[in-house]
Amino acid sequence: MYADYAYLIVALPVLAFVLCLFVGWHLPRGGGFITVLATLGGLIISLGILKETYPNQIVHQSMHWFADFNVGILIDPLALVMLLMVTFVVTLIHTYANGYMNGDPGAARYFAEAGLFTAAMLGLVYSDNLLQLFIFWELVGLCSYLLIGFWYRKPSAASAAKKAFLTTRVGDVLFLAGIILLYNNLAALNIPLKPGEYLLQFPVIYANIAQIPPAQLTLIALGILGGAIGKSGQFPLHVWLPDAMEGPTTVSAMIHAATMVTAGVYLVARMFPLFYAAPHGLTAVAAVGAFTALFAATMGLTAFDIKRVLAFSTVSQLGFMMAGLGVGAAVGAAAVGVSIFHLIGHSFFKALLFLCAGSVIHAVNTNDMREMGAVGKYMKWTMYTMLVGSLSLAGFPLFTGFFTKDEIIAKAYEYGVMINFLPYIFLVAAAVLTAIYTFRMWFCVFTGKERSNYGHHESPWVMVGPLVILAVFAFGFGMAAQHDFYSYLDTNFEHYSVNFDELGVIGGHAAEGHEAAGEGEGAGEPWYIKLLPYIISIGGILLAGLFYWDKIKRFDPSQVTGENDPLRRTLLKGYYQHEIFTAWFAETVVYGTSLICNMIDIKLVDGWLNWLSAWILGLAENVRKIQTGVIQNYVSAMLLGIVVLVVVITLAMEVGLV
Amino acid sequence: MIPLELNILLASVMFTIGLYGLITQKNGVKLMMCIELLLNSANINLVAFSAYQPNVNGQVFALFSIALAAAEAGVGFAILIALYRLYGTIDLDSIHAMRW
Repeated sequence: MYADYAYLIVALPVLAFVLCLFVGWHLPRGGGFITVLATLGGLIISLGILKETYPNQIVHQSMHWFADFNVGILIDPLALVMLLMVTFVVTLIHTYANGYMNGDPGAARYFAEAGLFTAAMLGLVYSDNLLQLFIFWELVGLCSYLLIGFWYRKPSAASAAKKAFLTTRVGDVLFLAGIILLYNNLAALNIPLKPGEYLLQFPVIYANIAQIPPAQLTLIALGILGGAIGKSGQFPLHVWLPDAMEGPTTVSAMIHAATMVTAGVYLVARMFPLFYAAPHGLTAVAAVGAFTALFAATMGLTAFDIKRVLAFSTVSQLGFMMAGLGVGAAVGAAAVGVSIFHLIGHSFFKALLFLCAGSVIHAVNTNDMREMGAVGKYMKWTMYTMLVGSLSLAGFPLFTGFFTKDEIIAKAYEYGVMINFLPYIFLVAAAVLTAIYTFRMWFCVFTGKERSNYGHHESPWVMVGPLVILAVFAFGFGMAAQHDFYSYLDTNFEHYSVNFDELGVIGGHAAEGHEAAGEGEGAGEPWYIKLLPYIISIGGILLAGLFYWDKIKRFDPSQVTGENDPLRRTLLKGYYQHEIFTAWFAETVVYGTSLICNMIDIKLVDGWLNWLSAWILGLAENVRKIQTGVIQNYVSAMLLGIVVLVVVITLAMEVGLV
Repeated sequence: MIPLELNILLASVMFTIGLYGLITQKNGVKLMMCIELLLNSANINLVAFSAYQPNVNGQVFALFSIALAAAEAGVGFAILIALYRLYGTIDLDSIHAMRW
């Protein structure tokens, strides 16, 4: 019964968007409660669907749109957990935003855009075909542009919005190319479609992957991966994500925790059979993910802006998720469960961390951690909820992050045993750094001495309430949901009877690898590998404490790195990305090229046209003299004409022509 | 009854005078008068033919034409007054803001 109302999950936020946009400013707090209620409605419907379908049913509704395409809703375990997560986390974030955006003159616009954003993300998640998914995908991109540039009068916000939009656009073009390629290949197969089946529907895609030539599969997979890289902020398209912190903090929480950036991971998970079948497809995913995880973590170590630390952390954690999918080459479809579990857990604790950071910024009025210190004295709730989030992010035992991240690392180890240890090494190093930078941030903000004058007050209950709820989930979700989650998600592709053995042969994944993975669930790991996650998290936190917590401080960061240490400078500059991308590539290469093009355009293309138009103008200057504007001349000419006409006609009659 | 030929002759003479004035005169009011001559010579033709061929159509048409001429004269003189206020003259040769 709930499934009949599945369309409302998207329709309600759209309604909220329209209402907030047109009547929002007449309502208290910009009509934020409308958006909250709309997402809450989505959450209730999603829960109802979960109750109806759990554990082994899916919801699939579709109708014809045009030509070979349809619109439809597909709610399988993968989509359903995403729906639940998005509606739940976003409801809390909207609630929090009611406090955070209070008094902002653009509050109504904020809630309208946030509503549209939510709708786009939810629509993306339960689309039943790739084209519809792409449309919502673009809508998500558009809304992120609007929200990041929410304070558009601030030049940095406007340029960050543009950067986010353009960078993700690069990925989107690749994604679109992948879709077109996939469509062409599927169309070339001449599949006999039953009524109600369309080419780009996921079940149809899953059923026919095996018949597409492997070389094409790889191209398609790379195209789709390109889209995912753009959206999920993976190297080398991650540059927009830290800048995107210019938006309100609630936007950061929404975009960088729960929704937009997870869309890329979700896409790869959704197309997992295709990646699995494509030779080198998953290898690319694993490589990108593992590298990004470490790369971003190192930059997180040196950032001073509290939100940038979290942004780098998001990029890094998304790398973990990608790597988690990538190791599917060794562990099969279980990789989807592992990766999505981290995605869900991450969205809880990262939303929590962002909202806590927002709460701190709201009180302290600065983003710079160097100006904070001892904030914990005044903001007990924020301090403890953020501690929960940080412990979870750092992977402290029993917290959500521990279970989710540990599982990815364990799977990476299996991958290492069978194929290649590099992702494992990268991920372990990234996990250590995660613990360190997370607690560097926490200690810097909440302990020590006040390093500047700032406001001393706790945030209102409407902001603290969501923090507490999220903290509960950031702590307990991993422990409580672990086993059910895996068993639920592992059945995801069984609904479409995807034959992974067959696909594995195409993709070049040895079939015996699975059996080894199946029997060796943890059994194959030596004791020190099992112990490693505990050491990583606790050791990392301790290390951060030794540097930054005044109670146990033993070292000063300056003892380790001087001001001019090249490594420190490299990290602080973000690997000179700005210098490479902006100063060198954009301002030298692109600018130089455009100068030359500009010259060709002006001299050659425009020059020829200008000469032609000048010549015609000169000609016209002479011809226009005929038009005197003197009536007498016209009348005389008319008279002359009539006389000539009369003479001619008369003569013609004389001769007998007429 | 006056023969038809005389009527037509009168109309032709009036028309020619009007046309001559239109071509030679510079004064705006004179031009207006010449246009009236043209119109009315046509009216004479209409009425004359209507009388000789027992049919009232031509006279009705002439009435329309007169009404039209009145309206045209109203607009024309209004324009001339505006021109006079602006330039202090109604010599149409010296008013050339909209031609080369």
